[in-house]
Amino acid sequence: MKPTALLRRTSARTLITAGLVTSLALVSGCAKSEDDTGKDKSGTQRGDSGQVVASPSAGSGETCDIAAFGGERTDLKNATVGFSQSEKEANPFRIAETESIKAEADKRGVKLLTANAQSQFSKQISDVQDLIAKGADLLVVAPLNSDGWEPVLQAASAKHIPIITVDRKINATACKDYVSFIGSDFVEQGKRAADQMIEATGGKGEVAILLGTAGNNVTTERTKGFEDRIEEKAPGLKVVFKQTGEFSREKGQSVTENLIQSNPGIAGIYAENDEMGLGAVNALKGAGKKAGDIKIVTVDGTRNAVQGIVDGWISGVVESNPRFGPLAFQTLDTFTKGGKVAQDIVIQDSAYTEDNAEADLGKAY
Amino acid sequence: MTELTLGRVTADRDRLLRLLQQYGVYAGVVVLLLANTVFTPHFLSAENFRTQAVQVAPVLIVALGMALAIGSEGVDLSVGSVMALSTSLISLYLGYGPWIAALAAVIGGIVVGCANGALIAFVGVQPIVATLALMVAGRGLALVLLPQLKDVRDPGMAALGSGDVLGVPYLVLIAAALALVVAFVVRRTTFGRQLLAIGDSRPAARLAGLPVRRVLIIVYVCSGALAAIAGVLATARLTASDPTSLGTLMELSAITAVVVGGTPLSGGRVRIGGTVAGAVLIQLLTTTLIKHDLPPSWTQIAQAVVIVLAVYAARERGKR
Repeated sequence: MKPTALLRRTSARTLITAGLVTSLALVSGCAKSEDDTGKDKSGTQRGDSGQVVASPSAGSGETCDIAAFGGERTDLKNATVGFSQSEKEANPFRIAETESIKAEADKRGVKLLTANAQSQFSKQISDVQDLIAKGADLLVVAPLNSDGWEPVLQAASAKHIPIITVDRKINATACKDYVSFIGSDFVEQGKRAADQMIEATGGKGEVAILLGTAGNNVTTERTKGFEDRIEEKAPGLKVVFKQTGEFSREKGQSVTENLIQSNPGIAGIYAENDEMGLGAVNALKGAGKKAGDIKIVTVDGTRNAVQGIVDGWISGVVESNPRFGPLAFQTLDTFTKGGKVAQDIVIQDSAYTEDNAEADLGKAY
Repeated sequence: MTELTLGRVTADRDRLLRLLQQYGVYAGVVVLLLANTVFTPHFLSAENFRTQAVQVAPVLIVALGMALAIGSEGVDLSVGSVMALSTSLISLYLGYGPWIAALAAVIGGIVVGCANGALIAFVGVQPIVATLALMVAGRGLALVLLPQLKDVRDPGMAALGSGDVLGVPYLVLIAAALALVVAFVVRRTTFGRQLLAIGDSRPAARLAGLPVRRVLIIVYVCSGALAAIAGVLATARLTASDPTSLGTLMELSAITAVVVGGTPLSGGRVRIGGTVAGAVLIQLLTTTLIKHDLPPSWTQIAQAVVIVLAVYAARERGKR
């Protein structure tokens, strides 16, 4: 190799290395993000609003106790609880869910082991196996999938480890493979969103649905509940547009931009999560609409969406409460002491409208 | 006699395919425009064209960089992750004002481009593998820097996303300007010719004494910088930094725009006009199906059909 070529090559390499090093230094050293006013103000009220059971509580519906499940009575205080989270804590729901479990374990002085599957089901299976190997006596699992739990359930039932699943169900036998399921009724959420839409629009006109990710049970159930209730209660409302916004703000925005041009007479938009609803708000603002021109109803109950009600852009938000901590530990406590617990514990989600949005903003997650 | 006819038929078919490859994408755009004018209510409005142009702008900017990478017989899979990284960096540096934040984002894109280029030019890793590595790493880094969606309240950023000059949105002006610059670079500069020569045959270019490594690094730096600019614009439009979902599958949209636009994957040619038309075609296709409320899966199938047609035309021509 000629000296000049060598020189050029070396200098290019040095340049790249120097560039990488300086930029890494830049990233880590002098970041300065935008001031977050408003968020911290209400932050003091955080951690409020634990879940309330809707139905069926112990007594009605099928129940389970330790005699039926197998195993011995223990005291929750001396036990180790393992928590397996399904998705990265990158959205408000998952953040609030994990925080709630951790806070409740702290409050009760229970030793907690946690793992996060980062949306990979195979990782969740090995996470749970790890938790068992590390000595978890009880498990709380937020399942990524409903199916494919056999290897874990076998390992757990061999050791008589009670499992409670939260927010999603698994396809297995309650009180044999696992103890109970605690979660929201997504069909019911859709129905309550429909009620809010009927009230906001007066039950007349054309409405659009921003669907969640295709093939997701949350999407199908929230759609079914909404459409059933509209058909039953408000024949004057017509669903004329159903397109996916993939649960993201960006897709929600671009789909709504197209919607309001092709259907300028649309009366309301039902967004199956808050993020798409906020994207729709962006689109309406961009098109020069005023707050309240088109009624928006969303599901989840995040801080930003409830703020949207206060600002007048969103008509109603149906909550999907992620704070499973208190109820999950209470269920485990009752169960380990030998009491009866329900196999299906459906929680009572609250809702936000213009009447309570301002007062309850602190409860939103 | 028969042989003669056969020869003529083959020649005709060849010419047809060549026409399809060169002008098919423009014909597709025209057909979709006409069909929408007739069948879609409220399609012919300034507001609608504005919306479509704004929505296509980020994809187009990413596709420009992708066209350069593909022209050099490579590909850049990291573009979507660069967008995510760029949106994270904006959020991180917005305290210094929108310009510094945007600059930080573009520098981030350039760094990723450098890493891509270095892996490809010095280490000799295949472009698809090198940029795949950066695709995974880039998204990871973006999420480390900013673990969840964060609102952008800066008025300067909001103005960039929704403002306009004489009715033409900034996003569209920026995309158009970048397309002109890239087209000029490809056609009129030494760098452009060297890039095409390298894409045609890297060993030949090396034997001819072209600065292969330098050109390759510049190609991926350009692609990274363009993707970062697209990330800045998308962030401004959304008025939020969302590193989890921003730019997902963007690499596929960009590759589709480039290939449909008539740039062969085998390198040695770059068609910027075609790339612009390709991006517009995909946008119109998606928008047509949305406006008529057809199931979203149809969009994917329709896109697939267009890609297969484009690649078929390119392949048949390449065989000659």
